[in-house]
Amino acid sequence: MVYEPVLFGPGFWGPIVATAALLLIAAVTWLILICGRRITKAQPSDQKMQTYACGEVLEAEEVHADSEQFFSPIRRVFKPFYRYVRPGHTGILSTYLFWVVVGLIIILVAIAVVLG
Amino acid sequence: MIPHAPILAILIPLFAAFLMPVVGIFARWKGLKRAREWFAIAAVLVEFAIVVSMLPAVWGGQVLVYQLGGWQPPWGINLAIDGLNLLVALIVAGIGTLVMIYSFVYMERDTGLDQYYTLFLLILAGMMGVALTGDIFNLYVFFEIMCISSYALVAFRRNWQSIEASIKYMIVSSLGTSFILLGVALLYGLAGSLNIADLAQKLGPVASSAVIVPLALFVTGFGIKIAMVPLHMWLPDAYQAAPSAVAALFSGATATVGIYAMMRVVYTLFGALAIGIMFATLGLVTMVLGAFMALVQRDLKRLLAYSCISQIGYILLGIGLGTTLGIQGGLFHLFNNAIYKTMLFMIVGAIIYRVGTSNMDELGGLWKNMPVTGTLFVVGALAISGVPPFNGFASKWTIYVAGIEAGQPVFTIIALITSALTLAYFLKALNSIFLGQRPAHLKDVKETPRSMLLPIILLAVLCVVFGVLPQLGIDLVRPAQEALMNSSGYISAVLGGA
Amino acid sequence: MCEIHRGVKLDFIYIIAMMLVALGLYCLLLKRNLIKMVIGLAVLTDGIHLFLISLGYRAGGVAAIVSGDWFSDLPGFAARAVDPVPQALVLTSIVINICILALALSLAIYAYRHYGTLDPSKIRRLKE
Repeated sequence: MVYEPVLFGPGFWGPIVATAALLLIAAVTWLILICGRRITKAQPSDQKMQTYACGEVLEAEEVHADSEQFFSPIRRVFKPFYRYVRPGHTGILSTYLFWVVVGLIIILVAIAVVLG
Repeated sequence: MIPHAPILAILIPLFAAFLMPVVGIFARWKGLKRAREWFAIAAVLVEFAIVVSMLPAVWGGQVLVYQLGGWQPPWGINLAIDGLNLLVALIVAGIGTLVMIYSFVYMERDTGLDQYYTLFLLILAGMMGVALTGDIFNLYVFFEIMCISSYALVAFRRNWQSIEASIKYMIVSSLGTSFILLGVALLYGLAGSLNIADLAQKLGPVASSAVIVPLALFVTGFGIKIAMVPLHMWLPDAYQAAPSAVAALFSGATATVGIYAMMRVVYTLFGALAIGIMFATLGLVTMVLGAFMALVQRDLKRLLAYSCISQIGYILLGIGLGTTLGIQGGLFHLFNNAIYKTMLFMIVGAIIYRVGTSNMDELGGLWKNMPVTGTLFVVGALAISGVPPFNGFASKWTIYVAGIEAGQPVFTIIALITSALTLAYFLKALNSIFLGQRPAHLKDVKETPRSMLLPIILLAVLCVVFGVLPQLGIDLVRPAQEALMNSSGYISAVLGGA
Repeated sequence: MCEIHRGVKLDFIYIIAMMLVALGLYCLLLKRNLIKMVIGLAVLTDGIHLFLISLGYRAGGVAAIVSGDWFSDLPGFAARAVDPVPQALVLTSIVINICILALALSLAIYAYRHYGTLDPSKIRRLKE
């Protein structure tokens, strides 16, 4: 297999080499994990097993990360998107059709500009 | 090659669709179980075999031209098959076969399966027709066959979600197809022909200002089908409400066919390579919007639907760059996208089959119950996020390099960031479904049935194979890329090959 | 074949066809009732059909079926016959459109059963 040089810097990509390297590193990681296994016996007590939720009592089965808030930092960074674009997906058919016509006009203008 | 192979590839699913109700009645009369399913699977397998039988001739550089009724082009309808058509036909037939095998168990709890298999075979016939035809009006008719069966398939379960989604999908998409019809009418008025090759030849000397309106109508019409922003809004609704098997077929095959039709019309018929930059820009907007919307979804199917939009953006970016490498990467990504997107929708279907919901807030800790499904989900998620050694990496890498080579490093940077976002929302899905705390009522969930796992495992193997040996995939799409960039060869083969 | 319709000036009918298309589009965009939107879709496609069929029209033309005396005068027939291709296209397209209309109306009936309304701004449980 010939590795063609890439324009933006030295290096090469060999899929088989890379896969072998990935597997090797995975094996090494597994070995490290094995070495770091706990030796002392687990001593669970009722107090240790409780989930701390500001004094409320929660069952372990009921604790679940809210999937919408999962990436709330990203949502904060891209606030304008989530404030303006997301509510644009209103679920109303007339809005969808409106955007189709807007899309047609955008495409028409873009093609007219490019083909001149 | 089997004689008459091109037309048989369309006719077999079409006639099988018409025969399906008869088979259903016969099966009930004789008390045969599963007769419909076996009949449908036999039909798609034969179709797949026919498509494969055309491979050697087309990959040898030949353009197969099949004249219906012996009428010469440009007067008669003809089927013209070059590398690009065949790649799409291969994806359609392959995905169709696997989804059919998957439906075998997935749909068994539904009633009215005669209609389901009839519609399924009809949509396959429509897609195959779009993929193989060389006539623009014929393409429109097959496109409509595909669309109408897809509206009915979305509404198949007739609960409130599917009816709502189907109505929205249908009206938006019908507007799109009427744009296509208007485009065909304008082209006929302009050049007086309907054959794609003949039209391409006749449009050569026409002033470019005359083709702006028909071109925009075509791009919008096909853009609705492939959910290009801002024409994408119907897609999440439709994919969320459709049965998972249907969503798998749509994301794998129908989107591919839409992109094919767009490329054939824009690049071959109009020869408008210049508007590639518009596709690349719209592709960027599409991929970023899809990824951001996918980040905040609660429903796994809806998340996958937005992810589908995002991946279409990559394909548009690759194809829009217009360079050899870009088109190769775009087509390779098209092929890979069909593989892992179908696979992921099948996995969601398996979860719904066993648990009954795809809402991520109600799931959790399923790895203990479904380890094989979980592993396959990880494979699919890593492949779609472009992590080596899976196939998504190879095609995304090609697109990145193509972006830099085309002098558009900004495109590559945005594509890279979007790739990271893709991984982020798939990690969220993995965490919410397979890891974390398992709700008490999910204790008795069983592993996915074997016949549903079989097509998923097959697709996962393909993910790994094309990731470890990307040269294989590039070789697979190279005939398609050469065909797309060599439209004069297509024209002379159709018009001269009497 | 393309010379047949070149000489014919039919500007008026083209304007009517495009007005029908615009009317259908207006109906689709601004009417708040699914049945009316389906009617708008029908009007829109009928406008396109009118446009398509008028492409093949010629004043004083004959039907494009060779019969009787025309067998002996084929060049004369070719000079007078209307273009048959748009007729075939429109026929096909009308059939497709009937399918869409029937399916759309039946879906509207189901939507009314589920939601108790045909207002698209109230049929919006799937969103964002």
